Order: sequence, then C-alpha cells, then structure tokens
Amino acid sequence: MSPPAARGSEAARGSEAARGSAPGASDPLARWHDGDLSEVVAQASIIVCTGAGGVGKTTMAASLALGAAARGRKTVVLTIDPARRLAQSLGLDAMSEEARAVPGATGLDAMMLDMRRTFDGLIDRHAPDPERAERIKANRFYQQLASSLAGTQEYMAMEKLYELHEHGRYDCIVIDTPPTRSALDFLDAPRRLTDFLEGRFLRMFLAPGMRAGKQVGRAVGWGSGLFMRAASRITGAGVLEDLGDFFQSFEGMYEGFKERAGEVYRLLASQGSAFVVVASPEPPALREARYFLHRLEQDGMPTAGLVINRLTPPPDPALADLTPEAARAAAGRLTTGDAEDRAVAALLELHADRWELAARERRDVAAALQGTTPGRLVEVPRLRPEVHDLEALGEVGARLHGDDPPDARA
Amino acid sequence: MTLDTLLSHRLLVVTGKGGVGKSTTAAALALASARGGRRTALVEVEGRQAFASLFDTPPWDFEEREVRPGLFGVSVDAEDSLQEYLELFYGAKRLSRFVVGSTAVEFATTAAPGIKDVLLIGKVKEMERRREPDGRFTYDLIVLDAPPTGRVVAFLRAPEATLELVTMGPIRQQARSVVDMVTDHERTCAVPVTVLEDLPVTETLEGAAALRALGVALGPVVVNRVLPERVDAEARAALVEGLSPQAVADRAQRAGAALEPDGARLLLAQAEADRARLALQAELRERLHEHLDVPLLELPERYGTRFGPQELDTLARAIEERVA
Repeated sequence: MSPPAARGSEAARGSEAARGSAPGASDPLARWHDGDLSEVVAQASIIVCTGAGGVGKTTMAASLALGAAARGRKTVVLTIDPARRLAQSLGLDAMSEEARAVPGATGLDAMMLDMRRTFDGLIDRHAPDPERAERIKANRFYQQLASSLAGTQEYMAMEKLYELHEHGRYDCIVIDTPPTRSALDFLDAPRRLTDFLEGRFLRMFLAPGMRAGKQVGRAVGWGSGLFMRAASRITGAGVLEDLGDFFQSFEGMYEGFKERAGEVYRLLASQGSAFVVVASPEPPALREARYFLHRLEQDGMPTAGLVINRLTPPPDPALADLTPEAARAAAGRLTTGDAEDRAVAALLELHADRWELAARERRDVAAALQGTTPGRLVEVPRLRPEVHDLEALGEVGARLHGDDPPDARA
Repeated sequence: MTLDTLLSHRLLVVTGKGGVGKSTTAAALALASARGGRRTALVEVEGRQAFASLFDTPPWDFEEREVRPGLFGVSVDAEDSLQEYLELFYGAKRLSRFVVGSTAVEFATTAAPGIKDVLLIGKVKEMERRREPDGRFTYDLIVLDAPPTGRVVAFLRAPEATLELVTMGPIRQQARSVVDMVTDHERTCAVPVTVLEDLPVTETLEGAAALRALGVALGPVVVNRVLPERVDAEARAALVEGLSPQAVADRAQRAGAALEPDGARLLLAQAEADRARLALQAELRERLHEHLDVPLLELPERYGTRFGPQELDTLARAIEERVA
C-alpha cells in the first residue's frame, strides 16, 4: 500500500488520525473487501458465528439466518445465550429448548442450547444400557461436569449442531458460539472432552489394572502413588471414590464419544460449512478475531469471512474537504459567538471527532488483519443504538448479505 | 460506598461485559492507586495478556514484576497456582514436576468442580494476606481483572461450591478463608464496568444484584465511553428549532471552514443521531441510579486516540482526581 498524500504540515494528532480515512485517499481496508456474505446464506448448510464476547455474534447469526430463510431455505438459528430482547424478538424464552418458529419470519426457527439436556441425550445414546445411563447421571461429578468443565458448552453446542444436521429437517443451520476467550476451546472441545473422559492418566490410578495402565512404565506407577496420596490429602476422603466410580461408569463409552467427536469435526471442516468471524473495531476484539482466523486456517476450517460490527462509517464525500484540523479551527472561532455559532461549533467538533474515530478504527482493523486471510471482509456500521427486533436485524442483513430490510424504504 | 474510600480496600474485583473496557479500567485503577503511594498489584486471571500492550511490557507471567513505580503486574494461571500450593503446603517439590502437567490441572479442575477458580482466587488471597518481614502487608491494594459479568459470580462463588462438595481437609480450609475475604466488606469491593448501552447496563444490574446476594460489597460503577454533551442549552435550542443547512454553511464558512449546504445537511443529521444516543445515554444513566445506590465514575469516549500507555496515564489521573 502506498502512503496517502500528506495533508498539512502540522503533525497534529488530527492530521495523523485522518490519514487513510479521507474519501479518495487509500482505504487501509480496501484490499480485503470482496463482496458480502450472500453466497454463504444462499449455499452453506452450516454457518458458525464466532468471536469475542460482546461483539454481536448472536445478532449476526440471527441476521444471517434471516437471509437464508428469505432465500426460501428452511433455516434454524441455534443460540447459546441471547440477550433478552433479541431472544424475545426471536420468539424465545428461557424455557425454549425446542425449535420454535420465529414470529414474522417465514421458514425460520430459533432455539436455545440446553447444555444439560444435550449432555443427558449424549449419555443416553452412548450408554450400553439405561441403568448405566442413570448411574452416570446420578453421579455428583457428572452433575457438575455437565455444567462446569471448560469446553463442555462448546462441545454441547457442536453436539446439538450435529444432531440437527443428522435430522435433515433444515437446509441451513446457523449457530453462534459461546463467547470463549480463545478459539482453542471451541475447536478443541470435542477432542478435549473425549481425552479427558478417556483420561488414561486418571484411570490408571483410579482403577489400577485397567488396560491403559499397561502402556505406562514404572516411573508413572510410582508417581501416581504419590499423586494419589497428595490428592486425597488435598480433597479429603470420599471425593476420589466418587470420581473413580464416575470414570468407571464411562468405561466402554469412550469409543462412541470419540467417533462422534470425529464426525462433528469432519462436518465442520466440510465444504458445506462456513465460519464467520465477528469482531468490533476495538483492539481486544480484533486480537481475538485475528487469533480465530489463524486457528481456523491451521485446522483447515472453511472461513467465509470476517464481519466488523459497529464500525464508524468514514465521512461522506460531501464532507471530504472538511478535515478534522479545519473543522476544529473553525469551531474554535465560533465558540465565542451567539447560540447559533456555538451550535455550528458543536457540529464541527462532532464531525472532527467522528472522522478521527473512523480513521482510528480502520487503522486498528487493518493492523489486526495483517498477515491473515479473512476471506470476505464485511463492514456493518453502527446503525442504531441497539439491534433487537426483526427490522433492525434486516438492516444488519442488508449489509451482510444484500437483502433489503423487511419493510425496506426505497 | 463513596469514591474516596474505594482505594482503601484490600481487593478490588473489576468485572464487566465483554468489550466495555474492563481490563483498561482495572489497569487505570491500579495505576491511580500506585501513584497515590500504595504498593499495588494488578492481577490477570484469564491469560488474555491484556496488560502487556497497555503497559508496553513483555508478556506477563506468574512472577510479580514492577511495571510502574509501586505497581506490580502478574498473570496468574491455575497450573502455577497448583504447583505453588503443593510446594507451599506439602513441600511437594519432588512430585510437582510430574504431577503438575495439564492432566493434573484438568484433574484438579474437575475432581472438585470450580477448583480451578479456587486455585486462582486462592492465589489472590495469598497475595492479599502476604506480609513483609517487618509485618506490613506486601500489597496495600490488589486490583483483580476478574472474569466478565456473566462468569464472575460463579468465579467468586467457587470457594462456596467447594465447601458444599468437600467436607474436610485443607482444601476446605483454603476455600473457607477465600470466602471470608471476598465477603468482607472492609477488604473486598466489586467494581462493575459498563458502557451506557442497553445490554451492558442490563447485565451490570443483574451482576450487581448477584454479587450482593453473594455477600460481596458493591463499589462504584465505572461508566466507560460516555459521549460528551457538546452544546449548552441555548445552542441546543438553536439546533432543535431548526438551524437550516444554509445557515450552518454560512456560519462555518465565515469561520473559515469549507462547508457547503449539502455537507451541512449531513452534519445536522449526524447531530440528530448524536442527540438520540445522548438521550438513550441519559435514560440508561437514570436506570443505573434508580437501581443502584452506588456512585457512577464516568470516563469519556476517546474518539481518535488509540489507547496506549499515555492514555492509560491520563485515565489514571482522571480516576485519581475523583477518588483521591
């Protein structure tokens, strides 16, 4: 990229911030722009929205789902923890664990992830008999595990996704992922859980003589004895026995779990899937997005694009000549005038601030994208203070996949 | 709770919805405290390395390092905490290298659920109680960059949960003393961070109620990215009563700005959108006041400036002025 033409000689904060955002000057994001996500909503059978917390993942998921449904595809959006008002407009309440039709949106269902029920379903499916399933579900460690083990929520989301996919009831399944702080948790979830449950290390000392124990040498046997002693001293009596029981009841189920996890992984990596990374233009969220993009690439996951949500739009061409410096200088002269002058001064200050904000955001986004392959880059400006009804989702959709809002104004 | 007693606690638990500036606020509070002459520790528990770039230092780890005069930074993780715990209480140096692999931590995490959180906050408690040879506390104040609002209650409740599950042994004692620390209103105070938008405010109110139900004292709410009120009443009246694009352009041009009526129309539309956001902002501020009897510590939107060490200094100074 060639540096934009210098404007003015003062190295004022404003002139530096203005670089790259002036219409006509080179846009630092231009090289990543490549259309919108209309192809994704028209074709993908699975869309996974991912990104840091608070960036608007659920909003994007709901908007993409609306877009798919608008193309006549039977669609479901599966959300983890929607904001209350968004949930309401999707026709969800705290109790909705089944898919429900979204009022006012033909062909679109919405549902919320119920972790415990999904996990129970998994146990029921893989347990050799109902008795064993009951024994597991009654164990206090299972009860805690179902809600607290890191990665469980991610895994259950993927499990539910797979279940919906297998059912074949939907042409398109859109899911928003939990706001985990690292992509690792999410992509590793199936493997982590099965590794943990298989727990060679744990089983070998909780139930000595198990198959897994044979592969480890004397050193480990010695270590595990010490570990056991330390562990019981720390946890107190009874805890380890319960834990041993828990792992023993899982015996024989690991293969089924692993197989399933493998299938989920393959499904996510297949060409019918599309990952959409969502970020806000703030550096922490951008860092997460960058990490996600790298991770998806490493794992060979199909990345469809990066959405930058709530971006401040660059100034309109009609205002291109009114640089922040010029606006501030004029505002300075007007602040001592009459009420009208002071009002105009405020307008000019606001313009200068927003220009600089837009420039900063674009530079931050460009910096975060260096060396990544985000696929399509889609900008969604801050359209209104809050997005929580279908109309607003439609407006977001217009940016994401080119659809007009439901009651589009010409 | 008043602002001026905020920094005389022993532990500040800073929390907030993702994206509202929780870590930045924690850093600024810690910096303000250190500048006031308190030996201060800033603790990160989620391994996000949010502070290294803010303070322009190498990545933080388990070692407490002085990043500014009187301000010590540390990134605490469960594995290191477990290792230290085993060494401290069991002289278990010999086995710790073998035991403290990821599997052992995974074990600890699940063997008694919430143990990971107990280990993390246990480490915070150790720092809070630590004393120098002369008997003084090592740290006057500890600022914890805690998990986000949605998880902070589970995080602080972890020791309680452990008490329910583990009926005896040293873990129980450890959990007990952590519960004592977080529920002691003289020692610990939660500081929620929010922005004046619907979702974060709703989450703040829910979080505040849950923290109080847990017995944790609630400090001031830090309100980040507050949009400035740019006009006085008279000028606002002029705007609202319909200053024409032509009039705006004329006045701007007289002051030397290159502005045509077309551009002026856009500026007026922008100002109207800004007024709508200000109105929503005022409404949400009111909602916070209505439901919470704690002061609000407002910090302005920063527009063009990229947040770095210098801006952190400015922010810390702004806090200092309010809470000194």
